[in-house]
Amino acid sequence: MKADELLNNYFVDSQTWDEMYSNNQLREQYRNVVEFMHQLSVEELNKKEEMAKMLFMSQGITFTVYNSGEGIEKIFPFDIIPRIITAVEWDHIEKGITQRLKALNLFLKDVYNNQFIIKDRVVPADMVYSCPHYLREMYRFPVPYDIYVHIAGIDLIRNSDGSFYILEDNLRTPSGVSYMLENREITKRIFPDLLPANQVRSVMEYPSLLHKNLMSLSPRQIAHPTIVVLTPGMFNSAYFEHTTLARMMGVELVEGRDLVVDNHRVYMKTTSGLQQVDVIYRRVDDEFLDPLVFRPESTLGVSGIMSAYRKGNVAIVNSLGNGVADDKAIYSFVPEMIRYYLNEEPILKNVPTYQLGIPDQRDYVFKNVQSMVIKKTNESGGYGMLMGHSSSDEEISNYLEAVMQDPRQFIAQPIISLSSAPCYMNGALTPRRVDLRPYALCSPSGIEIVPGGLTRVALREGSLVVNSSQGGGSKDTWVLSK
Amino acid sequence: MLSRVADSLYWMSRYMERSDGIIRMLRVNYAFSQEDFKEFSWKPVLKMFTILDDTPINSLTRNSRAVLQYMVSNRENRNSIINIITRARENARSGQDHITKELWQCLNEFYHSIKEEQLNSALLKEDPITILDGLTRQCVSYYGTADMTMIRGEGYSFINIGKFLERAVQVADILGVKFVNENEGISEDAGAEYWKHLLNSISGYELYLKTYRGGLEARNVIEQVILNGNFPRSIIYSINRLHRYFERLRSERNTDGYNKLNFMIGELHSRVRYSTADSIMKQGLHAYLFRVKEDLYNIANSLNQHYFAYSL
Repeated sequence: MKADELLNNYFVDSQTWDEMYSNNQLREQYRNVVEFMHQLSVEELNKKEEMAKMLFMSQGITFTVYNSGEGIEKIFPFDIIPRIITAVEWDHIEKGITQRLKALNLFLKDVYNNQFIIKDRVVPADMVYSCPHYLREMYRFPVPYDIYVHIAGIDLIRNSDGSFYILEDNLRTPSGVSYMLENREITKRIFPDLLPANQVRSVMEYPSLLHKNLMSLSPRQIAHPTIVVLTPGMFNSAYFEHTTLARMMGVELVEGRDLVVDNHRVYMKTTSGLQQVDVIYRRVDDEFLDPLVFRPESTLGVSGIMSAYRKGNVAIVNSLGNGVADDKAIYSFVPEMIRYYLNEEPILKNVPTYQLGIPDQRDYVFKNVQSMVIKKTNESGGYGMLMGHSSSDEEISNYLEAVMQDPRQFIAQPIISLSSAPCYMNGALTPRRVDLRPYALCSPSGIEIVPGGLTRVALREGSLVVNSSQGGGSKDTWVLSK
Repeated sequence: MLSRVADSLYWMSRYMERSDGIIRMLRVNYAFSQEDFKEFSWKPVLKMFTILDDTPINSLTRNSRAVLQYMVSNRENRNSIINIITRARENARSGQDHITKELWQCLNEFYHSIKEEQLNSALLKEDPITILDGLTRQCVSYYGTADMTMIRGEGYSFINIGKFLERAVQVADILGVKFVNENEGISEDAGAEYWKHLLNSISGYELYLKTYRGGLEARNVIEQVILNGNFPRSIIYSINRLHRYFERLRSERNTDGYNKLNFMIGELHSRVRYSTADSIMKQGLHAYLFRVKEDLYNIANSLNQHYFAYSL
């Protein structure tokens, strides 16, 4: 294909950082990919796009939308052009996330034990206690190895100056890692030889790394501890991911009804009787985990599992109560935490955040609502938020009324213009906004981050919301080794 | 292996075997309907595979296209191929980490292809044999993939237990359908055409010709379909395999359940093995098949109780 046909429609406004272009020059890291695409016709490219869809569908890499009895299976839209991160950029990200995760783990240990950070008035006590995810059940419980967050999916975005910002810390049950792995598999199929030619670092070690970490947490010192992935079941939208992880690690995928607690030990029901479980990588939320302690009507969890956990007879990953650390209101204190616990300056910046629970900040936000995004502190997935610049006056006034009901539940941030990356659409490359979620693993021997992650992309033109529930898609994410 | 997963694999397999059997029956019956329309009726097929009352059955018996549509792509029919495949796939999904990726993909593709609206309209307009052959190929591809890729572990045993149990029940049904209303003996009017037709639907006609050379006789058909250990769709072959795969589940744990089931399967196995065509005809085919099916259902219930149940 001719260069001008492919790139004719690629307009980037000056307010946005573009991953592929700078001052109308192709960035070095994208040169190979663009050259490769020039060699293909529109038909060939369309065929590759079609092939990617087919591969997802036939492998059942789908999430289910329920509306009329039988669920409709949809694939998570995939854009064939990879998002490329240079070695220098990655080095910065890696250091920043490692530092942040270290501080967040220390924070969790602190708020559930001695609470120095509250006594030293770095984080206000009411901020912690008013968070619905702060679990009193975890108070003074010595979590093994002091690790609360074993798996984190921290969201990064890139502002117009090209520097990375932390958007969200996902410390509970971050999802999407299977897409990181599957997207790479698809790229291997649709762009043969392109990965080695670009010296892209492999992400395939993720499952074995995770498995090794889970093994190291076993309370019983035995050669083959029993590790399980606990899923809410096949109707969960991330069920595909749960099966993928279980399969790739070669461990059992269990549901709550497969487990039973006896004498503070967890067992699974097998065809040859009960078998003790040592480590549970759970993908069930805190509040559903144990009907005896949390929501009594939950059928997804296991009665008595908390008692087994507290006795130290089973390891649960991630630990419970982590929601207090990735709460959107606590978020604004993370840079202070890093200074407080580590005596270091934060490597990755926070997006400026206003607490609507604090009157001064609230007044400021209300005055400048056009340039703000307001979010609920305990919602995720792009639900319950207000984008000031694209909402009607009525929507804004309704939303602000809702804020006044309980201001603590809301925060505001200036609208950050996410960076754009090329997407293949209708025979040409078009810029679309992206974010980045690398997956960090924390074990007794340290923090490791697989070089890659999930790049989510807002497929609608001009949209800044990348969540899959809001019309987002994903890309393969390349981290170059040089 | 988790009880729930064993249960899922077992049912995935039963449903696949069932849809394979139904598709073959539909194909042969359709072909028969084109040959001898005066004699032909869909009633036996509808009796065997649906829960319809006599009135709707009678309205369908001579409308091949409507029967095919009802049996293949009608969502209202619990035993339509589309519903059976959907259930097979749901079970596969629930045991997804215990079947190979290839097997899952194979079943998933089958599911997506049968959901196509195009298939439904083709059943009403185009050549049904081409379509049913296409579906049979998908089933065969499933069997092949299972055989080529699944490790020979516990999961594979449960898959085969489900497969052969379902097959034995199905063959007993097919053989018995002509005798639903006649409690005694073989009816004389079950003519050669009928037996040919029956053998064809379980791929046994060629073997019959090679074994018996002469014309089609009830006694010989019974011998082949129940007692020929080399015929992969005979009852003895299915029970043989069922027994063999069950014996692989022997372990130090769960000996109670194992012993009980092993006894039940062994008892049935012996009874069929030490039958002859003459002894079967003497006691009445219907009564004999009824007893076999009763035993198979009891085995299925005990499997459920000792291997799949969630309670302790």
